[in-house]
Amino acid sequence: MLEVRDLEVAFGPIAPLSGVSFSLAKGETLGIVGESGSGKSLTAMSIMGLLPLSGGRITAGSIIFDGQELTTLAEPVYRKLRGGRLGLITQNPMTSLDPLQKIGPQVDVVAKLHLGMTSREARARTIEILGTLRIPEPKTICDRYPHQMSGGMKQRIVIAMALAADPDVLVADEPTTALDVTVQAQIIRLLDDLVKKRDLALVLITHDMSVVAQTCDKVVVMYAGRAIEHGPVEDIFHAPQHPYTQALIGCIPKGLSEDEHLTGIPGTVPTVVNYPKGCAFHPRCKAAQAICSTDRPGFVTKGQSAAACHFAGAVQ
Amino acid sequence: MTNKLEVRNLSKRFTISGGPFRKARAMHAVNDVSFDLVSGRVVGVVGESGCGKSTLARLILRLIEPSNGSVKLDGSDLRAKTPAQMRALRADMQMVFQDPYSAIDPRYTIARAVMEPFEVQGRKPTGTEEEEVDKLLNMVGLNPGLASSFPHQLSGGQKQRVGIARALALRPSLLVLDEPTASLDVSVQAQIISLLEQLRDDLGLTYLFISHDLSLVRYFCDEIMVMYLGRVVEALPDTNAAARHPYTATLMDSTFAPDPKLRRIIAPLEGEVPSPFDLPPGCAFAERCPRAAAICRNETPILSTQDSHPVACHHPL
Repeated sequence: MLEVRDLEVAFGPIAPLSGVSFSLAKGETLGIVGESGSGKSLTAMSIMGLLPLSGGRITAGSIIFDGQELTTLAEPVYRKLRGGRLGLITQNPMTSLDPLQKIGPQVDVVAKLHLGMTSREARARTIEILGTLRIPEPKTICDRYPHQMSGGMKQRIVIAMALAADPDVLVADEPTTALDVTVQAQIIRLLDDLVKKRDLALVLITHDMSVVAQTCDKVVVMYAGRAIEHGPVEDIFHAPQHPYTQALIGCIPKGLSEDEHLTGIPGTVPTVVNYPKGCAFHPRCKAAQAICSTDRPGFVTKGQSAAACHFAGAVQ
Repeated sequence: MTNKLEVRNLSKRFTISGGPFRKARAMHAVNDVSFDLVSGRVVGVVGESGCGKSTLARLILRLIEPSNGSVKLDGSDLRAKTPAQMRALRADMQMVFQDPYSAIDPRYTIARAVMEPFEVQGRKPTGTEEEEVDKLLNMVGLNPGLASSFPHQLSGGQKQRVGIARALALRPSLLVLDEPTASLDVSVQAQIISLLEQLRDDLGLTYLFISHDLSLVRYFCDEIMVMYLGRVVEALPDTNAAARHPYTATLMDSTFAPDPKLRRIIAPLEGEVPSPFDLPPGCAFAERCPRAAAICRNETPILSTQDSHPVACHHPL
C-alpha cells in the first residue's frame, strides 16, 4: 500500500532526514520510533506532502502509494489524496480543530470535499463515524465546540475527521502523547480495531516503545534523521541488532525484577546542525570503534530485520 | 524508623469568584490526604492529569497554604512557623520541577544558578564559591567546565541536572520531585533516574516522587500512593502489590509492557473524569467503576489507616 525508499529531506543546505525506507501492506501497523529530533515527524510530513509548508523539500528517494509516486505529484492531485485516501492524525488535538467551529461541520466537510456528499449525507456519515468511535450521543456532540470536550474526546474527533473519507493509509503522529494513560489505552484500542475492521494500513509514529510493543507488526527505529534498524516487532524487542535499539530498550523500566537497573544512554541526542560523522550514534555507543567515526554503516540484513551498524548483532 | 514527613487530613480548595452572571465555584484539588513518609524511603504519587498530585507537592512544601490539615517535617508542624522560620526550614526540603527550562533564570550562568539558593538564604558555602560549584556539578554528573555556560547552551537532560544541583545546594534531607523526567527523552530519563538513585544512596535522601508514569514509579519507588480527583484512593505498600482499588487496576491495565509477547487485550475504561468543580456524592470513581453499587454513589469511602495496604473503596478487589 505504501512504500518509502531512501527518502531524503532538505531544508536549504541542511538535510535533517536521509536514508529512510520501509513498506506497509493493508491491515498492517508500522511503528516509527525514535527520540526527539530523530526525524519521525518529518517522515510523516513527507508522506502527507506537507513539507513545502515549512520550507522543506524531498531531495532524493521515492514514496509510492498504491502504485503512485507521490514525490513528484502536482499539488492539486495531492490535495485530493490528502485527507482522502491518505489520512493524518496529529499529536495535539487542541490545534487540529478549529476552536470557532462546531464539531459537526468540521467533520462533515471531509466527506463533502472528498466523497462529494451533500450536507445531509455528510452529517449522517459523521454521526455514524462518531458512533463507531464510541463517542456518546454523537448527534449532540455535533453541536458542541472543541473547548467543551476533554482531550481524549477531541482526539477521537480528529480520528473521525481522518476516517471520514475512508482512507487506505492512516498516518498517526504521536496520537496519544498528550493524553493520560487510561485515555491512551482507549485510543490505542480504537486504532487497533480500525486497522482490523477496515483493513487500514497504519503508520504509528511514537517515542514510546511500550506503545510500539503493544500495537505494531513492524518497526522502524530512527536516530538522528536516519532509519538505523527495521524489522518485525518481535525481532526488534527480543533480538535487536543495533546497539542503539538495544540501549533504548534498556532505558524502559519493565518492573519485572527487583534488581532491574536503568542506566540510560550517556550523552544527548545530537541536533541536526551537529550530526556526528560516520555513524551518528558513535559518540554514545559503548561498542564504537575507529571505523564508526569515519564510515557510515550500511544495512546488515539478518532474517527479516536489518540494522545499519558496522558491528550489527556482534554486541549484546 | 523515623518519619521524615507526617501529612494529616491535608486539603486544598480553590475558589473561582462569581460575578453578576456566574456563581462562585469551588474545587477540591486535594481532599483529606494523610500519609507518613519514612526517612530514607521513596514514596511515589501517581495519577492522571488533574488528580491533584502537583498541588499536593506544593502544599507539602507550603508553597501554597492548605485549606485544612497539617504537615509535619521531622515532627514539627509547619503551620506554626513564621515566614522567617519557614525560609530557614526550606533549606531542608527542596523541590525539583518538571520543566528545567523555566526553573532556571535564562540570564544566569550555571554557576550562579546553582549558587542562588545560598544567596536567597543569605548563607555562605563551606569552601569558596568555585569549590562549591565544582562540588555540586560533580555531584550531578556535570562537567564543572559548564559553570560559565548559560542555560540555553545546555540540553534538556543537562538542565535537569542543574535543577537537581540547585535543589541539593543547601544539603536538604527531603526532595520533592515533581515529574522530573516528564519533558525528557527516555534515554535521558534513565540517566536522571539513575542519578537520583545514586544520590539517595550517597546522601541518605528521602524522596516524594510525583509522576503520571506507573512503570517508572514502580521501578523507582518503595511505596506508591494512587490519586484520583484529589484523594488518595490506594496506598500500595510495595511496588509488586496487586491493585485493590478498581481505579488502580485500570491504571495498571492501561500501562503497556515494552514487550510484544506481553500484549494485552485492552478493556478501555468507559466514561470521562468528572469535573472537579462538580464532584458526584460518594466515590468519585463510581460512575466509571464496574464494581459500583448503590453505596458507592452515596457514601465516600475512607482510606483505612489501620490496614497494611490501605484502599478507599467499598468493594475492593
